[in-house]
Amino acid sequence: MDKKRIMIVDDDPAILRLLSTNLKARGYEVVTATDGEESLEAVQKDFVDLIILDLMMPKVDGVEVCRRIREWSDVPIIILSARGDENDKVKCLELGADDYLTKPFGIAELMARIKTAFRHRGDPSVAPAQSSFNYNGMEINFAKRRVTVDGKDITLTPTEYSLLQHLAVNSDKVLTHSMLLQSVWGNEYSSEKEYLRVFVGRLRRKLEPDPKNPRYIQTIPGVGYHLSAVK
Amino acid sequence: MKENETILVVDDDRDFLEIIRRILKLKGYQVDTVSSAEEALSRLKERFYNAAILDISLPDVDGTELLSKIMETHPDIIAIMLTGHSSVQNAVQSLNCGAFAYLEKPVDPENLLSVISRGLERQHLLLENRQLMEELERHNRVANTLLSVSQAVSQSLDLQQIIDAALERVAECIGLEISFVYLHRNDKLMLMGHHGLSSRIAGSIPKESPKDSGTVGHIFSLGKPLIIEEMASHPEHDLEFLKSGGYRSFAGVPLMILGESMGVLGVATSFAHYFSPVNVELLTGIGREIAIAVRNAELYEEASSAKALRELDSMRTEFLANVSHELRTPLAVIKGSANSLLQPDVIFDEQTRREFLVSIDKDADTLTRLVDDLLMMSRLEADALQVNRKPHRIAEIMDSVKDRLESITIKHHLHISIPDSSPPVLADDIRIGEVLTNLVDNAVKFSDDNTTIRIEARRLGKEVIMSVADEGIGIPPELHDKVFERFFQGNGHKTSRRKGTGLGLSICRGIIEAHEGKIWVESRPGKGAKFSFSLPVA
Repeated sequence: MDKKRIMIVDDDPAILRLLSTNLKARGYEVVTATDGEESLEAVQKDFVDLIILDLMMPKVDGVEVCRRIREWSDVPIIILSARGDENDKVKCLELGADDYLTKPFGIAELMARIKTAFRHRGDPSVAPAQSSFNYNGMEINFAKRRVTVDGKDITLTPTEYSLLQHLAVNSDKVLTHSMLLQSVWGNEYSSEKEYLRVFVGRLRRKLEPDPKNPRYIQTIPGVGYHLSAVK
Repeated sequence: MKENETILVVDDDRDFLEIIRRILKLKGYQVDTVSSAEEALSRLKERFYNAAILDISLPDVDGTELLSKIMETHPDIIAIMLTGHSSVQNAVQSLNCGAFAYLEKPVDPENLLSVISRGLERQHLLLENRQLMEELERHNRVANTLLSVSQAVSQSLDLQQIIDAALERVAECIGLEISFVYLHRNDKLMLMGHHGLSSRIAGSIPKESPKDSGTVGHIFSLGKPLIIEEMASHPEHDLEFLKSGGYRSFAGVPLMILGESMGVLGVATSFAHYFSPVNVELLTGIGREIAIAVRNAELYEEASSAKALRELDSMRTEFLANVSHELRTPLAVIKGSANSLLQPDVIFDEQTRREFLVSIDKDADTLTRLVDDLLMMSRLEADALQVNRKPHRIAEIMDSVKDRLESITIKHHLHISIPDSSPPVLADDIRIGEVLTNLVDNAVKFSDDNTTIRIEARRLGKEVIMSVADEGIGIPPELHDKVFERFFQGNGHKTSRRKGTGLGLSICRGIIEAHEGKIWVESRPGKGAKFSFSLPVA
């Protein structure tokens, strides 16, 4: 398998050095950028498999970089932030970041999150046994990782796709918050309900004709979510 | 009604007088009869008559002449002329002089009575009208005064301005010599302003008064106006200053709004028995206007201090968020580097391990500096910074930091020019050394290697101006004030250097201000920056 290429964007050279040393030691290829503008140029020039993005940067800040990258790419983005603010976290996730880590953090934690992000990106070989899922105008082709609603292509980020796939494969069950968090993100996320709320919101905005009255992903209050398949 | 109506009859025919007197008496009038003009005039001086019946031909004076004299002094009197049938000409003349009517002799009593009754009726109407007009005028005056006071006090939301404007207007509109206002503050009545008092008397007016005793206190606590007609016999002591100023009447009204007493307005004049219920009514109205304006001002003050508190609160929140951010950044490097070394899955080579340790070491220093800066900052904000000011020569201060400055500017050219003639300054040498180090550190941070950094000192009047100039990227004019704010971080600093705490210049400003000096920057983008500060000559 090819080496995964990770871009680190941070204006603090010590953080850049620290992360790149660790990532290289674990077999990743690393590119770095020191501000938002540079990172946007670099992402367009080089192909990268994942971006680790600092939130507070000169020129173009992390939130803006995230928003702009999401306009044309579904590359997984992990935000690093020195602000432990819950609002920032939700804002970044809403804008399309896949994960959010508050400084200071442990190396093992970061590595686990990188792995989770790559798991979402998905290996076609671990696609579900069934080849597709059809319900009420929505079609998921598991082999091609392609989603259409009423014949229109829907672009999903890897994390969004993972969540949708998990809901679709288990469409006969109600999935609890912690079940979804553990199977889509990983064990260490089981209490991060914000993630689930934000990503279900993102999926609904992309899939549902009327996100306020969802026809696909149903909320079971206090329990979890359920993708209706029974007419 | 008629019992009070008085009629004077003037005729030289005594029999006629007697008959008329009887007729009129019978009808209930009070009647006086005289037989000469002289007597008539002296009676008129003694008392008021509603009507006069005058014979046109009198022995001493011509009746028309008498009429003129009477009308001059008693314009409201109803005059009825009695004429012989030969003197119709005179009768017409008398009407022109103001007589109500004329009757020809011999007089028909019925006719006379009906003329008198009509005349008196007209007089009633006239007097009533006049009273109404006067009432109206008084109301107008009151309304105008109130309007004027109301306008004056509503011009401002500043309490003192309101009180001053109100007192001035009260004096102007009512022509009162003395006025003063007490307001309810901290459970006491505090003197807020006075008008018209000589400086001698002003010195003895009580600055505060209890809210439920004394003259002022009683007006406040009872919420009712009070008139003192003669100060000399007033037992309370709190108005002693009025007595000693020779003021004799006093009126005080509470400043009431929605049944709540907010203070007291007092006025005084040097006349005794001056204030009538009408005055008090007007003063009560003025008191209400002042109370409304004072309440508005208080509400405004409360609202703006609430706003200021909210702003302070949000600044504090922002400060905490910033501090948290600034602490987390070096902590991330320390934690990440140490954590890297602890990971079981990767064994780093000797060189890399050393790099991690260097990072930990450096960022531990950054953290220490940050904590020091934060402590300094909080000391500055609490005004608790100890500045040990003594006379020092600039050269002496420079010498103490020279080694430090040279090590910072190792890749730059440092030029120091301090004239020997520089006078000593009143300064804390250690603190000023910190300021210089900080400014030079910034200069290095924001300019390229091999450029020049100049430190200069020059005398300007009673101050010495020190400056640190670089040839770096400069600062746009809109940021010249901002750079001195807490946590302001300049953009575009060289990435090879570590970030500062964003507190340096803010601390410099605090230190310089504690020296009663100023700090400022002159710069244009791309043209370098020159930071200067002033210190007082010792």
